[in-house]
Amino acid sequence: MNLAMLKPGQSGRISHIGALGPLKRRLMDMGVLVGEEVKVEKVAPLGDPIEITVKSYNLSLRKREAEGILLEVPK
Amino acid sequence: MTMRNSVRPLPAPEPAPLRIAVAGNPNSGKSTLINSLAGTRLHVGNWPGVTVEKREASFERRGERIALVDLPGTYSLSPYSQEEVVARDYLVEERPDVIIDVVDATNLERNLYLTVQLLELEIPVVIALNIHDEAERMGYRIDVTAMEQALGVRIVPTVATKGAGLEALLDAATAAAGDPSRHRPRRLHYGGDIEAAAEALMAEVLRGHPDLAGRYPGRWLAFKLLEGDRRVIDEAGLQGIEPLVARAAEHLISAHGEDVESLMADARYARATGLTREVLTKPDVRKIELTEKIDRIALNRFLGIPLFLAAMWLVFKLTFDVSAPFADWLSTVTAGPFTRWTRVLVGLVRGPDWLISLVTDGVIAGVGSVLVFVPVIFAMMFFITFLEGSGYMARAAFVMDRAMHSMGLHGKSFIPMILGFGCNVPAIYATRTLENPRDKALTALLIPLMSCGARLPVYILFVAAFFPSRSGTVLWSLYVLGIVLAVLMGILFKRTLFRGESPMFIMELPPYRMPSGKSLAIHTWEKGKHFLIKAGTYILAVSVLVWFLLNLPWGVEQKKDSYMGTVGQAIAPVFKPLGFGTWEAASSLVAGVIAKEIVVGTMGEIYVPGKVEAPAGPTPSLSEDLREIGTSFAGAGKNAFTNVFSTAGIKSLQAEEDEGTTGLRSVVSKTFTPLSAYAFMAFVLLYMPCIVAAAAFKHEFGTWKWFGVAFIYQTILAWSVALLIYQGGTILGIGG
Repeated sequence: MNLAMLKPGQSGRISHIGALGPLKRRLMDMGVLVGEEVKVEKVAPLGDPIEITVKSYNLSLRKREAEGILLEVPK
Repeated sequence: MTMRNSVRPLPAPEPAPLRIAVAGNPNSGKSTLINSLAGTRLHVGNWPGVTVEKREASFERRGERIALVDLPGTYSLSPYSQEEVVARDYLVEERPDVIIDVVDATNLERNLYLTVQLLELEIPVVIALNIHDEAERMGYRIDVTAMEQALGVRIVPTVATKGAGLEALLDAATAAAGDPSRHRPRRLHYGGDIEAAAEALMAEVLRGHPDLAGRYPGRWLAFKLLEGDRRVIDEAGLQGIEPLVARAAEHLISAHGEDVESLMADARYARATGLTREVLTKPDVRKIELTEKIDRIALNRFLGIPLFLAAMWLVFKLTFDVSAPFADWLSTVTAGPFTRWTRVLVGLVRGPDWLISLVTDGVIAGVGSVLVFVPVIFAMMFFITFLEGSGYMARAAFVMDRAMHSMGLHGKSFIPMILGFGCNVPAIYATRTLENPRDKALTALLIPLMSCGARLPVYILFVAAFFPSRSGTVLWSLYVLGIVLAVLMGILFKRTLFRGESPMFIMELPPYRMPSGKSLAIHTWEKGKHFLIKAGTYILAVSVLVWFLLNLPWGVEQKKDSYMGTVGQAIAPVFKPLGFGTWEAASSLVAGVIAKEIVVGTMGEIYVPGKVEAPAGPTPSLSEDLREIGTSFAGAGKNAFTNVFSTAGIKSLQAEEDEGTTGLRSVVSKTFTPLSAYAFMAFVLLYMPCIVAAAAFKHEFGTWKWFGVAFIYQTILAWSVALLIYQGGTILGIGG
């Protein structure tokens, strides 16, 4: 399961960040960390990017970047 | 702490100013805070070597000189983005006396992540707990005393938009800078083995480079090395230390199963999170924020794009319709009374005719062509600042990113491109909303393909002469041609000049906020002023040059014999395959580099010579002139106002035909064919950006490089497309 697969309103806990280098650092700087709870708020009208809430603020990122963020979703 | 003195020996005759650096996250209200602190004393420039804006101010406060530097807004001090590198280099190399860290009280956790990093620099820090009013409205309770104790720094609640808390903030900053030894922030303990690794590494580094002790805060340097920060290694001259660092890092990786950079980010966030939990109480029931309500509509799947396009239409209309009457007023004043007065003045000192012509047709006309851009730059800057400050710019990028990304662009590229249809110059300035240098350059390169208002007079002349029955379709086809070519060139550039990974799109969607009037005014004013001074110089120089080309050698009677005519004759063969290989057309195109509408004016001078605008009636007196300037300015204000409300269409795109061009039209219809006319219009659309746009390129990027690229590709594109149209059309037997 990765972040790009969630539908608006769904949430999950980050289990692994697959990105490397600057992308990974940037995600971490923005609070996208392993163990963090994220929720998908919206998908842009054209299907990409998506808007998520993390650390109680709103962040947008492209699906390609979201694909590298793996989640464990509560059953 | 003796470090500060050993870093900066101060043999200054008068006491050096207190250097305050202002740091903080984007959208933390930092810019508003600086505007409120420094106001009109702000000086805006660029950080050396990059396109990041540098804002600084120096002023006196209670007998003390203060030098304020606004660092770029950053989320972190990692070495990956231009903004972060600039902020970090300044802090590490210049070591300001105190850092004011602007923290958004409504978003404490993420903001404190930067604070934790700032504290590691061993420079006194004072926190401005900003947007305090909004946090209170949301029901947030922040225990400032507990926070001060936990961090070991002074915290001053502020509301920058209202100027609240700013005096206390400056007091705290001055006090903190005055006694650096009192700055003992609570250290973040990264965990036993990281600390031990850092300590061992530091000891090793200092053994080889004892001089580094005074240049860098020790712990900070060790942590940066462990994080694998290459810039630090190069700057500190620590080449050769890599194996040592790698060994230490490897040990940590095997112990934790994570790279050191992640470990440290985790530790810093853990600190920020823990602290937030300690000091912040949120209400149990979360209110649905205004931002959420607006976004339900603004980012809606079906409404998002129509709303965005409507907003863009409004911005476009406001920018160009509000500024157009003032631009007209300025051009009337410079061409009319101002030119007359100058003529009289030069006449008084018995200046020869050529001097009068140089001053009026060269200098004043040049100044005039700069001035007419000023209203539109002001208007555009105002609306762009509003869009950004309000938070809508990020939404616009969110909505449009998918479409723009396919061209290798960023969601935020859309707005500058749209503005390009009005005028390329403010559009190029508007690319400053793009943080990534690659996105910014690519966007600016494509903007000149958006057919601006100045090309319209050329189209109108030719459409009226050749396609009167299909004028709408032909005009429309030219705009579409520009857009299609922009898409194609975008894809081409993405695969050539800008090859490689497209930059990431990780963007905060900040809460909607009302930008403060003062901030809007300052940003608008700064941009307008800079344009006037910087761009004005180049434009003036080229205008004067063109005047010389048209009027030299001395006493030239026929335009054909002027240098401009000679140049036109020399390059005319180049345009032969395009269907307009005459010296008249060539000379007009050369003159058109000042501004594309000048193509028409020059054609008028060349094709219909001897047309002197005889002043009708007696020359008005000075007082009449002054009164006329005043009333016409009032009229311009009234027009700007009514334009906004009365018309549904976009005023500046509505064709207004000049009565004076009828003679020109008949000459043109004899020397061009419909096919060559269309090729000529396509050429005017595509060939090099005008010099005002060139100045904007230079000004915005700090180098001529991107203008050079635009010049080369557009010249090739214009020639090839016109060739394709003319030769293709000839072969197919259309309109030949």
